[in-house]
Amino acid sequence: MATAQSPAAPPTHDLGSGVQPLRAGEGTSFIWRKLHSLSGIVPIGAFLIEHIVSNWEAVKGPVAYGQQVYFLNHLPLVRVLEWVFIFIPLLYHGVYGVYIWLRGQANLVYYPWAGNWLYVTQRYTGLFAFVYIGYHVATQRFMGVDLPNHPAAAFWKVQHELANPWILAFYVVAMIAVCWHFAYGVWLFAAKWGITPGEAARRRFAWVCLVGGVLLAAMGLASIHAFVSQKYSNAPENPLLSYQKTENREQRIEIKGRRAGIKDQRAGVRARSAMIAVRVGLAAGVDC
Amino acid sequence: MATPRIIVVGGGLAGLAAVIKIAEAGGTVDLFSIVPVKRSHSVCAQGGINAAKNLKGEGDTTAQHFDDTIYGGDFLANQTPVKGMCESAPAIIDLLDRMGVPFNRTPEGLLDFRRFGGTLYHRTAFAGATTGQQLLYALDEQVRRYESEGRVKKYEGWEFLSAVIDAKGVARGITALDLRSMELRSFAASAVILATGGIGAIFGKSTNSVVCTGSAQSAVFQQGVYYANGEFIQVHPTSIPGEDKLRLMSESARGEGGRVWVPRTQGDNRLAKQIPDSERFYFLEEWYPKYGNLVPRDVATRAIHKVVYELGLGLDRQPMVYLDLTHLDRETLDRKLGGILEIYEKFVGVDPHVEPMKIFPGMHYTMGGLWVDFNQMTNIPGIFACGECEYQYHGANRLGANSLVSCIFGGFQAGPNAMKYAKSAPAVEGDGGAAAELTRQSGINAELIKSEGTENPFRLWRELGTAMTEHATVIRQNKGLKQADDKILELLDRYKKINLSDRSQWANTSFAFTRQLKNMLELSRTITLGAILRDESRGAHYKPEFPERNDAQFLKTSKASFTGCVQGPRIEYEDVDTQFIKPRPRRYDAVK
Amino acid sequence: MASKTVQFEIKRQASPDAPAVWERFELEWRPGMNVISSMMEIAANPVTAEGKPTTPITYDSNCLEEICGSCAMRINGRARMACSALVDKLEQPIRVEPLSKFPLVRDLQVDRSVLFENLMRVKAWVPVDGTYDLGAGPRVYPQQQEANYPLSNCISCTCCMEVCPQFNEATGFVGAATIAQVRLFNNHPTGKVLKEDRLRALAGDGGIQECGYAQNCVEACPKQIPLTNAIADVGRDVLGQKIKDWLRG
Repeated sequence: MATAQSPAAPPTHDLGSGVQPLRAGEGTSFIWRKLHSLSGIVPIGAFLIEHIVSNWEAVKGPVAYGQQVYFLNHLPLVRVLEWVFIFIPLLYHGVYGVYIWLRGQANLVYYPWAGNWLYVTQRYTGLFAFVYIGYHVATQRFMGVDLPNHPAAAFWKVQHELANPWILAFYVVAMIAVCWHFAYGVWLFAAKWGITPGEAARRRFAWVCLVGGVLLAAMGLASIHAFVSQKYSNAPENPLLSYQKTENREQRIEIKGRRAGIKDQRAGVRARSAMIAVRVGLAAGVDC
Repeated sequence: MATPRIIVVGGGLAGLAAVIKIAEAGGTVDLFSIVPVKRSHSVCAQGGINAAKNLKGEGDTTAQHFDDTIYGGDFLANQTPVKGMCESAPAIIDLLDRMGVPFNRTPEGLLDFRRFGGTLYHRTAFAGATTGQQLLYALDEQVRRYESEGRVKKYEGWEFLSAVIDAKGVARGITALDLRSMELRSFAASAVILATGGIGAIFGKSTNSVVCTGSAQSAVFQQGVYYANGEFIQVHPTSIPGEDKLRLMSESARGEGGRVWVPRTQGDNRLAKQIPDSERFYFLEEWYPKYGNLVPRDVATRAIHKVVYELGLGLDRQPMVYLDLTHLDRETLDRKLGGILEIYEKFVGVDPHVEPMKIFPGMHYTMGGLWVDFNQMTNIPGIFACGECEYQYHGANRLGANSLVSCIFGGFQAGPNAMKYAKSAPAVEGDGGAAAELTRQSGINAELIKSEGTENPFRLWRELGTAMTEHATVIRQNKGLKQADDKILELLDRYKKINLSDRSQWANTSFAFTRQLKNMLELSRTITLGAILRDESRGAHYKPEFPERNDAQFLKTSKASFTGCVQGPRIEYEDVDTQFIKPRPRRYDAVK
Repeated sequence: MASKTVQFEIKRQASPDAPAVWERFELEWRPGMNVISSMMEIAANPVTAEGKPTTPITYDSNCLEEICGSCAMRINGRARMACSALVDKLEQPIRVEPLSKFPLVRDLQVDRSVLFENLMRVKAWVPVDGTYDLGAGPRVYPQQQEANYPLSNCISCTCCMEVCPQFNEATGFVGAATIAQVRLFNNHPTGKVLKEDRLRALAGDGGIQECGYAQNCVEACPKQIPLTNAIADVGRDVLGQKIKDWLRG
């Protein structure tokens, strides 16, 4: 306790506020931040793997690809699944991710260390991925041929899009960025959630993530290649239509069933009704 | 009655120990420290803390610890408080252990102990080679806990300027300077505890930290507190010479088996590892077969001095000798000495696992300090002192690893005693002299800030350090001491023509330093004059002109009091309490 | 023979609201000199390279052995301890600036008290019953001691906070040092009693979730404290505590 002040106190200066101390136990940022982190793994990461695996069907040609698109679009409650497990999480992960980025203060110039590079890369790849996904979802899901109703046109639609070399380049870079972001995201998740608390564990897991990421990217790029390769050049708008001309109906159903890996009769029946749906749709001229 | 408010000045081990005791007893504390308390000089203590826990089956006892301490201090310490300290040491270690100090352990999970200088027992508990740091943090954490409960208010970045003393000569508070805003204020308290540490800066370069100027001790000395045994300065045998300071190389390096040597032949400039064992002079082991490399510090320091200056065997003819750990197992070294080996490697750029370290003695510690009674109170009622800034526990030479225990024990005494005093102190009349003291201090400040001389304070300080190191450390000659004292007088005179190159009123470090410098100059005369008058050799005080201890004349505490005149402090002598152990000759070349 | 010299560029700022200016200094080279000894030299002769008289530099320092944590500053852009910054190992001119994430006081001196405040908020202490003699402490095996000792070596220099891209005014992130101390005290047999409090505190705004795992902290730490390991471990424990609280709350 001061009992007396000096006669003439010197002029004082206010210090800047600086970084505030921990708000111990207060606020909700913990849950939002953890949800962001988790959403990158499930459902978004899981969906990414599914998507790349599905794309892989493109390597087998337009028919297989169309069938895969058809299959996915006929999952039960598919529109609900799509919004709850894909669009909303993606939107959240992307928007909150940008928010995280804006609050960070990158300092790679002074500290050009590996982890710091990855920190910065994660932000750029994330933003790139977000922009790309926005574009990709808009053009492939909501614009042009409505694929949920016309799954057979999927290969054709993508091929048309990739015919533009700029867009092709965009896809290629985005594929790498997305896989990078995901692979490093998995590594980060393991580190920050305490799954790999040891230096050696993190190093080993980094290899796992690297291999996984490269594999995913390779599969993705192979699919892109399939769309632009000579082999399937000028794929028909509906591959099943040309296919119908050469085969009789029974054979077609059998082949379809086999390709989808569905052996039982019900699958056959479902496949047949699909064909019918496609034909009816075509006949009605809804497609173009 | 309101809870007593007590001021503690200094946030090292002793100060924090006092704070904890006061807060625990229900008092409230204003804690003043130049630096954030976690950055206090106690962090520099490396080797460990002594306590006769006898966990190694050697039959160690607190009585043995007491005897080693008194004998190591060449019988100059008052025996009653030393006995109390040695008896309390085991409980202090237990307490620190409970507070979470990461002491090294035995496989059974018990405390591990190592050997230190001046004893034949494994009596030193340690946390790697950063024991002081770990101990300080443990106390700092407890104080932070009390701070969160509102029992302690910290004034970090404030420098103690003086005590507020009322007309009856009783301390009623302090004045202090905010080193940031340069605001001068007085603070009232029922008692004041000074725990302001060492005085290394008086010697220019030492192993001490930058804040160890002795300025606070000097301020109260100039207000009438006795300064006792000022002439006893410990020079640590093993430090690393540097441009800015002498970095300590812990005694624990020898405690863990480190050996000190030089090549037997003058000018042998082969690499250390090319010199065969037979051509190495392990002089400590040869001269002191019983204690070997673990003789007390004053003995080791003088031996190194002799090897270098009398025998001319310094490495490359420089004042340096080897401290060799290369024969020891790397894993053990890292586990037990990691911290200090890292310091050596970082600052010298040589790996001590591979090459022997090059070391030389450096000023390290003051055994002397503010005179206190057995309750840790100075001769001014209401001013207490504990830790290195007081004189009580180490006599003429401190044993390694005894300083940490004396700091904590001293704080544990000072805290409760100050509380007791505060509860029974007579009520303060008026402001207790605060306004008068503030006026005096602001007068000094005003004078200083407008000084327009030519002398740079930092250069005056260097000259002081050079003179003191040359004449008042390992070897003392009356002629040299006189030269040093004359030099101080000259510097005091030149101080009147000081030039502050910075006149601002915001975080002005030159201003604060220049005030400290004045206090350093005043205090240093207790060292030179005390040493001139003590015509004997005892512990760290060695005069070749008087090589023997002279109990008849000098088994006495020297008490300096400030006079303010050119003749310097007046020195009187007080009998030493030797009721438990009869003084006997101190020899380390044979069993004591 | 002209003597060898050392070039310095030091960022000066007389007060928090004064403009920052760079001053150049040229000092005579001496073996073993470091940034602190150089600034001591400047104090003894406060003249710039241009010959203009100036004031001694205001900076924090104390032990000069890299154990008190005082003298952290940015040297050639990087946060580090000035006492162990040996001139011979630095590129010249040596550019010295204050830490950038803490309120500036003057020149190279900043206010780092936020770390001590954070340590208080996470209750970084062992709550002993009292200082009276209660006998020996809990048994601790050497392996536990060896795990805890490195964490206990933190000198509060705040380098880990300065270099962290997430430690800034927008996030109010607590920083690696405090998280490592939570790890330390949660590991202690008695310190554990406050474990839940500490974990809950670290889930508050500015808590452990703000870590971006750029790992700069562990690179910059002068004491090689395993900060990233501590963040991983504590991150898991905080999450576990939150889940427990949600399920039981």
